[in-house]
Amino acid sequence: MSENPYRPHLMRIVDAIEETGDVRTLRLKFLEPEIASQLHWQAGQFGQFSIFGSGESVFTIANAPSRGGYIECTFRQMGKVTSGLRNLSVGQVVGFRGPYGNHFPIEEWRGRDLLFVGGGIGMAALHAPLQFALDHRDEFGEIVVLNGARAVADMVYKEEMKEWERATGVRVVRTVDPGGETPDWNGEVGLIPDVFERLRPEPDGRIVITCGPPVMLRFMLMALEKLSFKSEQVITTLENKMKCGIGQCGRCNVGRYLLCRQGPVFTWAQLKELPSDY
Amino acid sequence: MDQLVEAREAPERTTEKGWEPRIVAMVCNWCTYAGADMAGTARRVYAPSVRIVRFLCTGRIDPLFIVKAFEQGADGVVVSGCHPGDCHYVQGNLLARRRFTVFQALMDFLGLDRRRLHFAWISASEGVKWSRIVDEATAAVREAGPLRHWGRPVKGNSSAQPLLPDTDAGIAPRDPPSAEENQLITGHLQELVTNLLSDGTVSTVIGYTAGSLPQQMVPLFVNEPRDASTLGWNEHCANNLVIYLPQVLKKNRDAKIGLVTKSCDARALIPLIREGQLRREQIVLLGIPCRGMWNQGKMAAKCYSCSEEVSPFTDWTITPEGTKKGSLTSAERRQVSPDPRDREIASLGSFLPEERWDYWQRQFDRCLRCYACRAVCPLCYCATCISDKNRPQWIPTTIDGKGNMAWNVVRAMHLAGRCIGCDECARVCPAGIRLDLLNRGLVQEIERRFDFCSHVNPESSPPLTTFQPDDPDEFI
Amino acid sequence: MEREGWRLSDKEWREWVEALLRAGKLVIAPVKENDLLLFRHVLMADEISVSDQGKAQWSPKEFLFPRSEPLLIYRLRGAEVDLEEPKADEREQVLVGLRPCDAAGLSRLDDIFLLEEQDPSYAQRKKHTTIVSLACDRAEPECFCTAVGGSPAGTQGSDLLLLPLDDGWILRVLTPKGKELVAGWAARWRPALAEDWDRTEERRSAVENSIQLSPLSAQWGTALEKSFGHPLWESLGQRCLGCGICAYVCPSCSCFDINDEGNSFCGTRCRSWDSCAFARFTLHASGHNPRPTQPSRYRQRVLHKFAYFPDQHEGRFMCVGCGRCLRLCPVGIDIHHTVERAASAASPEEERP
Repeated sequence: MSENPYRPHLMRIVDAIEETGDVRTLRLKFLEPEIASQLHWQAGQFGQFSIFGSGESVFTIANAPSRGGYIECTFRQMGKVTSGLRNLSVGQVVGFRGPYGNHFPIEEWRGRDLLFVGGGIGMAALHAPLQFALDHRDEFGEIVVLNGARAVADMVYKEEMKEWERATGVRVVRTVDPGGETPDWNGEVGLIPDVFERLRPEPDGRIVITCGPPVMLRFMLMALEKLSFKSEQVITTLENKMKCGIGQCGRCNVGRYLLCRQGPVFTWAQLKELPSDY
Repeated sequence: MDQLVEAREAPERTTEKGWEPRIVAMVCNWCTYAGADMAGTARRVYAPSVRIVRFLCTGRIDPLFIVKAFEQGADGVVVSGCHPGDCHYVQGNLLARRRFTVFQALMDFLGLDRRRLHFAWISASEGVKWSRIVDEATAAVREAGPLRHWGRPVKGNSSAQPLLPDTDAGIAPRDPPSAEENQLITGHLQELVTNLLSDGTVSTVIGYTAGSLPQQMVPLFVNEPRDASTLGWNEHCANNLVIYLPQVLKKNRDAKIGLVTKSCDARALIPLIREGQLRREQIVLLGIPCRGMWNQGKMAAKCYSCSEEVSPFTDWTITPEGTKKGSLTSAERRQVSPDPRDREIASLGSFLPEERWDYWQRQFDRCLRCYACRAVCPLCYCATCISDKNRPQWIPTTIDGKGNMAWNVVRAMHLAGRCIGCDECARVCPAGIRLDLLNRGLVQEIERRFDFCSHVNPESSPPLTTFQPDDPDEFI
Repeated sequence: MEREGWRLSDKEWREWVEALLRAGKLVIAPVKENDLLLFRHVLMADEISVSDQGKAQWSPKEFLFPRSEPLLIYRLRGAEVDLEEPKADEREQVLVGLRPCDAAGLSRLDDIFLLEEQDPSYAQRKKHTTIVSLACDRAEPECFCTAVGGSPAGTQGSDLLLLPLDDGWILRVLTPKGKELVAGWAARWRPALAEDWDRTEERRSAVENSIQLSPLSAQWGTALEKSFGHPLWESLGQRCLGCGICAYVCPSCSCFDINDEGNSFCGTRCRSWDSCAFARFTLHASGHNPRPTQPSRYRQRVLHKFAYFPDQHEGRFMCVGCGRCLRLCPVGIDIHHTVERAASAASPEEERP
């Protein structure tokens, strides 16, 4: 009998960072160290994380392959599995299988300016490519990160953003939705697409990597159009419910593409050809 | 499959003394728990096989919990709370009593060994009674032995299955209407619908049209007067179209909808109005005198005892002669025959509980969990069904004995006191599960116990949300 | 075409099945149960119901792709986790009496579970399964196998095929696995004669001709995909109630769900059938649902079967024309009709066969 594709690798939670009230980042280490050296992934791929007794849930692998040896995921407490995961503490064991899906075409971005636009927990999907770019800082041009949240308390990667800013040629813009600011807030106030427009980024030589809730994405694309970005310059990663991760369970498709195999990363140009099944 | 089940349940507990029963006691905090506590402080000795789950009130004990206990490997369950009148929350146990009455009736109907399920009222001062009840329950469960057949037939091979009497025996069906009559009705119906849509009385009419298969009639939504010509009528219009009302009203809360109905279908409006799901004035009922629905040469079982040609709520009555406002006066209440299912229910009742259990487990074993029973039920309108909730996962997701048992028991319980007997669930069940018998059994029980009929008065309180101080509780 | 087969009486093939049972093989065949024809394990060949009974209530796919099956067993000890894999089922099973559409449906499951990523438990079961189909001697009103590339005497997915004659059967061997199953018996049986074969051909074409529904074309996939945003879908799917009958009785539907059943000490991770008609099929934990309405879910079902799947599987539909979905649908939704309507709505100018 061939290997059971549903058997996860066991991993121990070695660190947990409270990003917000309901978002947490976990760092996981393989119980079998040899797996760590065998497992290769690329930024944009995802895994099935499992909590035994609760089930499995799909999260993007949040750390860049350049920071290997462990796996990170950032998740928001939402349903059964994420609540189960939230209840675990450092030292406990979870499962991981993957990596699955396609990845960001980072090779094609060399020498270009990168603009990361993340909304809410969508920022988690940009974490790995951003980390990769920072780890290979001299291979890319200017890096701008636009991180938006509904309210100050919902902003993810607060601590890490300070670290990103310290790198040369990196600009981090924080924004919260109107009404979500606090008295001591010194970032922007405005919806992400609006703030993006205000930044007036030059389309020339730039790649925009964006991820966020469907409604933000829709307005982002309108803003990009207004600023004359070409659809090939814009890339995003989609999220649909997935169960198997290997193209069989039949639910994650957007049109003819299975997100778990031909996705989740798509350019805006590809997205235009797809039905709105996400 | 067995492996799947085995891995989920704790192994049977055997000690040097042999098998020990596992009993779950669900008790209320204020009386029985205190009573049990008292038994403890008084150092009364009683059987150690009980695990106590404490609730604030027996009113909080959903039959679902009892199902779960059995499913997870309990051999018996004891449920106990304050005596009627002593409830800390005044009426919690009185409401619970009705629920347990129905649940006990359901479990009897399914053939669960009575020795496994015990109800009792035990006050805070009745430590002695607590220890006696636990001893009795333990002895009874011990006698019944380990429960190995929750979600599984008792007997091994299918040929041993008990058979119900032939439903056709001795009762002649009514004559179906002639094609000509149907044609006349269809013509009048189309004309009426055209008018109602044209003058804006209704914005949508839900009716029937010919399906792709011979003798198949399917639901049709008509929004434009010109489409009324696709409407049809004959003795194959089985669907209860009331199911579509919540969906249409969700899109437009103030919609006025014309609904082609048989009298059995229209009954569903009563509980829906009672439960605040719709307002009567939103619905224009287009009633057609019905002589019975036919499928594959057989008249539907529900039609034998049906005395109403059209529902008394009908706004328009469409007969071969023409269209008339209001309901047809049912002066000539027609001849009815006994419902053939009553013979089957009586026959089931004459089986040994073990045989009944076997009968139902075999039926549930076929269940595919397609939830068609839920989809066609006019009273299944919950925004999220309990089976779709996963925190906690009350109904196992697995399509196997335990999952199927939990689903079918919970579905029957939730319809108890609400079901109007349209039998759509039984008609569409691809696995041929006799949900009609199950529902009808409970309908009769509720009528007998609480003198309540779901489709009679929209003003009356649903039987499981109310109580009488002197409700029968001889089983407790 | 080289054909190998024997002329058998009813008694003869039942003797053979009886011998298979005696040899310890599991035999699964259509059996009458409470007015339903269902695939069941049989203990005697005489239980098998084959004469003029039409097709079984639902396909026998559950014997290769069970309604629910364990993928893993977990046990928690403090912070540690033990995983155990369920034991593979290695008993030989013989499926007898499948209609050609059912057998074709199983070959679609092969496309899903064996082609790209092998599903080990499916592969294991398939390895131990031999399929003896039964050609149809009449079409039921819902049948449309010929419209999707099948035939009442189709061979796809079968190892052996029983072809009815007026006074007996031809047992035709189609694969080496089939041949193995009749090893030792073939010598005792009378080979079918040319005229026997001719008569089965006549029967086949008679049944084929009685199926009126026009062929669907894999070429329409693009048109169907184009129809995605067409308002027609609203009316095509409006009456759909969102039950899972169509998917669960379908010979080729293979979508599934994975859930943990058990508690936080021990339990199983199970795979169970699922249906695209259910709202929760694609419902995100956040409450967002990419397919928020019943028509959008019905559209997914149709496009999956007639556009996406054929696109990736050399034009094969994920539909074998058994018509069960139409026959058992509580509201009589007709998938053949839907495909025709949607394809022509998207490209009205398209040439239709």
